[in-house]
Amino acid sequence: MSGADFLNLLIAALLLAGVYAAMSVGMTIIYGVMKIVNLAHAGVLMLGAYFVYELYERWRIDPLLGVVLAFPVFFLFGVGLHRALIRRLPPSDQPTLASLLLLFGLWLVLQNLGYLIWGNADRAILTPRTLSVLQLGPITVPTVRLVVFGGAVAALAALEVVLHRTWFGRAVRALMQNRDAGRLVGVDVESTARVAFGMGIAFAGAAGGMLAMLYSFSPDFGSPFLLRAFVIIVLGGLESFSGVAAGALILALLETFSIQVLPAGYQPAIAFSLLVVALAVLPQGVAGLLNRRRRLT
Amino acid sequence: MPPLLRVEGLTRTFAGLAALQGVSFELEAGGIFGLIGPNGAGKTTLLAILAGALRPTAGRIVFEERDVTGMPAFAAVRAGIVRTHQVPRPFRTLSVLDNVEVGIRFGRASRAAAAGPAAMGGGAGSGGSFGGARDAAGGAMQVLERVGLAHRARAAAGTLSVGDQKRLELARALAARPSLLLCDEVCSGLTAAEAESVLRLLREIRAAGTTILYVEHDLKAIMAVCDRVIVMDHGQKLAEGSPAAVQTNPAVIEAYIGASGKGAASSEGGAGAGDNGGAAAAAEPAGSTEA
Amino acid sequence: MTAAGAGGPAPDAGPATKATPKGAAPGSMATNGAAPGSMATNGAAPSSMAANGAAPKSMAPFAAVLLGAALAAVPLFGPGPNTIRLLFVTLVWVTASVAWNLLGGFGGQVSFGFAVFYGLGAYAAAVALNAGWDPSSSCLLAAGVGVAASLAIGLPTFRLKGPYFAIATIGVSEAVRVVMTNVQATGGASGYRVMEHGPFHQLQHFYSALALAAAAVAVSMLVRRSRLGLALVAVREDEEGAADLGVNPLRTKLLAHAIAAALTGAAGGIHARYAAYVNPQGEFAFAISVAILLMPIIGGVGTIWGPVVGAAIYGLVHEEIIAAFPQLHLLIYGSLLILIVLFEPAGIVGLASRLFHAALRRRHRRVDAAAP
Repeated sequence: MSGADFLNLLIAALLLAGVYAAMSVGMTIIYGVMKIVNLAHAGVLMLGAYFVYELYERWRIDPLLGVVLAFPVFFLFGVGLHRALIRRLPPSDQPTLASLLLLFGLWLVLQNLGYLIWGNADRAILTPRTLSVLQLGPITVPTVRLVVFGGAVAALAALEVVLHRTWFGRAVRALMQNRDAGRLVGVDVESTARVAFGMGIAFAGAAGGMLAMLYSFSPDFGSPFLLRAFVIIVLGGLESFSGVAAGALILALLETFSIQVLPAGYQPAIAFSLLVVALAVLPQGVAGLLNRRRRLT
Repeated sequence: MPPLLRVEGLTRTFAGLAALQGVSFELEAGGIFGLIGPNGAGKTTLLAILAGALRPTAGRIVFEERDVTGMPAFAAVRAGIVRTHQVPRPFRTLSVLDNVEVGIRFGRASRAAAAGPAAMGGGAGSGGSFGGARDAAGGAMQVLERVGLAHRARAAAGTLSVGDQKRLELARALAARPSLLLCDEVCSGLTAAEAESVLRLLREIRAAGTTILYVEHDLKAIMAVCDRVIVMDHGQKLAEGSPAAVQTNPAVIEAYIGASGKGAASSEGGAGAGDNGGAAAAAEPAGSTEA
Repeated sequence: MTAAGAGGPAPDAGPATKATPKGAAPGSMATNGAAPGSMATNGAAPSSMAANGAAPKSMAPFAAVLLGAALAAVPLFGPGPNTIRLLFVTLVWVTASVAWNLLGGFGGQVSFGFAVFYGLGAYAAAVALNAGWDPSSSCLLAAGVGVAASLAIGLPTFRLKGPYFAIATIGVSEAVRVVMTNVQATGGASGYRVMEHGPFHQLQHFYSALALAAAAVAVSMLVRRSRLGLALVAVREDEEGAADLGVNPLRTKLLAHAIAAALTGAAGGIHARYAAYVNPQGEFAFAISVAILLMPIIGGVGTIWGPVVGAAIYGLVHEEIIAAFPQLHLLIYGSLLILIVLFEPAGIVGLASRLFHAALRRRHRRVDAAAP
């Protein structure tokens, strides 16, 4: 592998990591605050893709603007889901099977609604940007990847500001660290959870829109990304935002560079194997690692 | 005669902090032994290690002349060490009888029966590990009668009152036929009358040949039933001796008054009213670091 | 009372002899004990069924035999090949559903990975049939491959609890599918054809599926009454608590996993022989795992008949709807799953028994009112 090839792959991995991080962060918010593993994440990614697609096809709204619009729309969708379904779950400081199954059912519903509405043909968002590339000496970067990466980083930066500068952000972080303590210092758990769920869904919807600019999609769009999101948040320690960034980078690097050594057919197995290894190596699930870290600090 | 249990230099650290530091003692068969100390002294950690729920960082546990250090919980039970929990944790949707049956069918006796039916006094049938369903139900009923819970045998365990759940906790442990019973605050949260009857039960269990290590936050209950008392503080053994000797030991008085105020030393009767009711095994080490 | 012998099994002798006078007369067999059955009714629906548990308990094996006999007699009435095919597929689903319930229902370990056993069983049977094995041997091989896979998957993943285990099984099953898509010996993504010599007897397939489903229900009943069943329910309720009473949780889960995998593998094998074709996208599809999980949960998780009812409904509805609206049935099942999780955790069987008891109570009240 030449130096230029290596550099190209490294940049491709970095750009991919940005999208992966944006795609996974919604899951982390929901897990951190509510201890719910959001299996419906995949369904929301898919809806986000079609949302941006429809805006572009019907009204020629630029997909980037579509992604921005996805945030408020999917936020409201998430708040509605919380009202209708999620808040009926018994609260728990541990992830429960009931919540897992509920969100799995929701995924099935969303996915198959997608099939009913859009059929099972593959769609893609084609803009003038889609095929253009940026040439910087020996380095080739597809423009659309750069644009999407920029969008992802901007979204993550905005989240960082919300978490550290607002009352809601402080409440979220308090609940993520310690639910009981959060309650004691006056955090309204129910409404914080509702907003957090809304934000998690908003990020999932927007990330779906970003992914739709890069890949073709069908109503089954979310599932491979769902597992990737799992790997990323498990690697990152489930409740930490910097952990998500690290996990996204690890997975993106592995996927990008493994092309050199692994037959293409086995490519998808990387994420799945990594998931099992990551879970199995940490004997208590990831909670054990977290507890250990917490005791140290 | 060798001791029933010998603990040598038992140490357990959590992230570098010692919850238990070089604790050694011996228990002879047939007594009731008290284990006391202020909150976070390491009592629950010690109990968890003896019961196999935690692995010690260092040290050795010899039980019935057999090294049982680091054995998993189920193996410790089969070796004859069974614990109760401070906060009862019944299988809530199972009936009271079925709860006890788990102990009967998986505890110490069950393995002996499976190993050789001949050991069951030359019984008629080759029961083996699958034969005991009806025996188990009968045995479970007997245990429930012993703790005075027979009338609730068919109720779902989750519907029991706190006092009855404590009795069930004891019944389940007894069903596993321990030779060493580890009791964690069996009286906390009970009324004085309930506590009195539980203490009477402990004496009966001892009389039937089971050795008891009784962990209690509250001194008065311990003094009422124990033959010998081990006092712990800051993860170390502070003193050991007869209840009377321990009570007048200046170091013990200092630890109790110094660490948790007068409340612990002078609290009412058996009704220790569980001021640390929610503390589980995991909470203990955290507490000990504060102390 | 400490036994003199140092080490070895000798110390056990002491407490064992000591235990004898306390235990009731040994030697009674598990099968005729009425009491152990009570645990199962409690497991499914805590209090409401416990009171009325006696009747269904003694009737269950009887009802099972009756149902089996009725199904076995179906061909006498000259149904078309399409009806037999529908029944065949449904019986395969029943087997897998009942198998999943052993681990997921009794033991509380929700797995999204049963397509691995189904698919490996299908492939094993297909390969064995092509190598000239007879159908029952290839079915046994399918079961054996399932057991081997269950141990390989269970040993690392059973250290995880609850949802973590569930997620890990998604990863395992997807990884296996990718690998099978790339294994050229069995045709890779294009699949693998079963070449069986001799004429095709649809009824033979039907009866083998019926026998397997009946075996699965029988195993489910036996497990529930056995020591393993008690251990599974205890682990489901409180894993550490079960270990504190002498239950070995890992061994318990591995054993249930292995039994379930054997049945599921055999079901995959029987289906492969009928279809005469296996392919990774079909046999290892995530949709297969999902179906195997949905059926028992919708029917009534942790019961004997819930998984059967769930599979029957799934099999029949699935086959009817799929022709017209391929996605509608999963939409329906997704909605059902949501409703069941939120409002009726005991599933359709739980709902039915609640309605039944409510009706009984209403009648009693009417009788009581009429009596004086």
